[in-house]
Amino acid sequence: MSRLGDIPIRSESSARNEPPAADGGLGGGVAAILSELVTLLERLVASDSPGAIDLRSLPMSPMDRAALQRALGAGEVQATVTAQGLSRVRETRVSGVWWVEHFDQQGDMVAELIDVSRVPAILTSATDEIAASARDLRAQLTSPSPGEGKHAARQ
Amino acid sequence: MPLASEQLTVGEMLLRHGISRRGFIQFCTATATAMALPPWIGAAMAEQLRNARRPSVMYLSFQECTGCFESLTRSFSPTIESLIFNVISLDYDDTLMAAAGDQAEAALATAMKDNFGKYVLVIDGSIPTGAAGAYCASGGRSAVDTLREAAKGAAAIVCVGTCSAFGGIPFADPNPTGAWPVTAIVGDKPIINVSGCPPIPEVITGTLLQFVSTGRVPDLDEHLRPKVFFGNTIHDRCYRRPFFDEGKFAKSFDDEGARNGWCLYELGCKGPTTHNACATIKWNGGTSFPIESGHGCLGCSEPGFWDKGSFYAAQPSAEWGKAGAPSPRRAVELGGAAVAAGAVLGVASAGVSRLRQHRSEQEAADHDRKEL
Repeated sequence: MSRLGDIPIRSESSARNEPPAADGGLGGGVAAILSELVTLLERLVASDSPGAIDLRSLPMSPMDRAALQRALGAGEVQATVTAQGLSRVRETRVSGVWWVEHFDQQGDMVAELIDVSRVPAILTSATDEIAASARDLRAQLTSPSPGEGKHAARQ
Repeated sequence: MPLASEQLTVGEMLLRHGISRRGFIQFCTATATAMALPPWIGAAMAEQLRNARRPSVMYLSFQECTGCFESLTRSFSPTIESLIFNVISLDYDDTLMAAAGDQAEAALATAMKDNFGKYVLVIDGSIPTGAAGAYCASGGRSAVDTLREAAKGAAAIVCVGTCSAFGGIPFADPNPTGAWPVTAIVGDKPIINVSGCPPIPEVITGTLLQFVSTGRVPDLDEHLRPKVFFGNTIHDRCYRRPFFDEGKFAKSFDDEGARNGWCLYELGCKGPTTHNACATIKWNGGTSFPIESGHGCLGCSEPGFWDKGSFYAAQPSAEWGKAGAPSPRRAVELGGAAVAAGAVLGVASAGVSRLRQHRSEQEAADHDRKEL
C-alpha cells in the first residue's frame, strides 16, 4: 500500500434520506447541481458565455457522484489531452455539458469540472497558435529542404 | 532576430519552453481549483496571461532561513515552479541567479530602473533595524536601505513567510537584531502577506499568479493576507473537528485518543486561532498536514506565533476570536518611535511591541558596546 487512496474505505451517501437510484430519485445535492447546469445552459444559449462547476469543491460522496454521472449519461465525444499532464474530456448526453478531469504528471487528479460550453477551451485551437502555424508552414514551403516541402504540403 | 525574453508574451515564453496553451490551461485550472476560485477562471486566467508581457519580479531575501524559498522551489509538482518562472520574469533572486557580486547588484539596479512602477517585489525575511541595520547587509547596503530603495518602484510587495509578514522568529522576544516586518518599513505600497513558516508552496504561487493575471491585489484580511487562502481557521476545516464537537480529546501523543485520531486541542493545537489553508490544500502535493500526521498546529501563520507560550499547552478558549498579537500595521503604531528610521510613525503607546522594541534596542546597543 503506497498511497493514501489505497486505504479501503466504506462510503455512505452524504444524504441519509436520499432515495436509492433504483427508485429513479436524485439526492438533494445532485438535484442542485443539475439545477445549476440548467441555468448555465440557458446562459450559454442566451449570451454564449461558458460556465463550469468545480466538482472537487462540493462535498459529494461516491454515491452522489455515481448518481450525477447516471443523470448526465455519456455523449458521443471523448478526448484525451496530453500536455503538462493528462486531461480527459467526455461529452455527456446533455448537449453542451462536458465532464473534464485534469491529472498532474504523477497521475494525481488536480481538477475535476463540469464544463458548460460548445467545446471546452482546452480542446480548441487558439488564433495566435493557428497564425504561428500558418507562418511556419509557409516558411517551410518557400524554403524547403529536400523532402520537407513535399511533406508539409501533404499535411 | 529573436525577441529578448523580456519582450515576449507569457504565451510565447511558454511555447519556447515546450509548454503549450493546453498545458497552461491545465495548470491554471488546477491552480484555480486549489485556490477555490470560480472554476471558469482557470481558462480565462490562462488566456489573459498568455497574451500579457511577463511581469518583472524581484525576490529579495533578508533575515531568513531560506525555508520559504525551499518551500516554493521544492513544491511537490515539478511543473509549478517551472511554470511560475515562465509566467514571471524573475529578474533578481540572489539564491537562484548565476550572477554574483557587482554583476548581481547591477542586475537589480537595471531591473528596477527598467521596470520602475511596474515590478512585483517579493520579500523573504524580516528586516533588522538594530545597529543601523548592520545585522543584515549585502553588497555594502543594509537590508532596510535595500528594501526602501526597491519598494519605491514596486507596483506591489508580496511578503513571503511569517518573517517578512509579521517579523517571525527574528522578531520574537527579545528580538536582538531589532527585526521588523515589511509593513513597519514601507507604508505607501500595496502589501500582500503570505504568511507561514514556511507558507504552503501553492499559496505562494497562487497568490503571485492571481496578482499577475488580474493586476489587482486580492481581497485581504485584517493582517493583509489573501482571504482566499487565509479566510478560515485550521479548526474550521479540520477533519478532526467532529471529535472536538463530541468532546473527544487526545491527552498525550501515545494514548488511545491519539491512536483513534481524536482532537489535539488539549495537546496545544493552535488550529482554532490560526488562519491558513493547511487543512484543505495540505502539504507535499496534498498528501497530509501536521494534524493529519498526529501533531497539533503551531499557529505559524499568525502574528507573534513564537511568543504565544508553549506549543504544547492548551490554548485558553478566551483567546478564541481575539487577535493573538497586534497586526503588522498596528505593530508599527505601537512601535512608534522605535521605527523612526522607517517611514511610518504612529501614536506612541505603551504596548507590548514598544516595550519589546525598547528592550531590543537597549540590547543591540549593549551588544554594540561589547563588540567595540
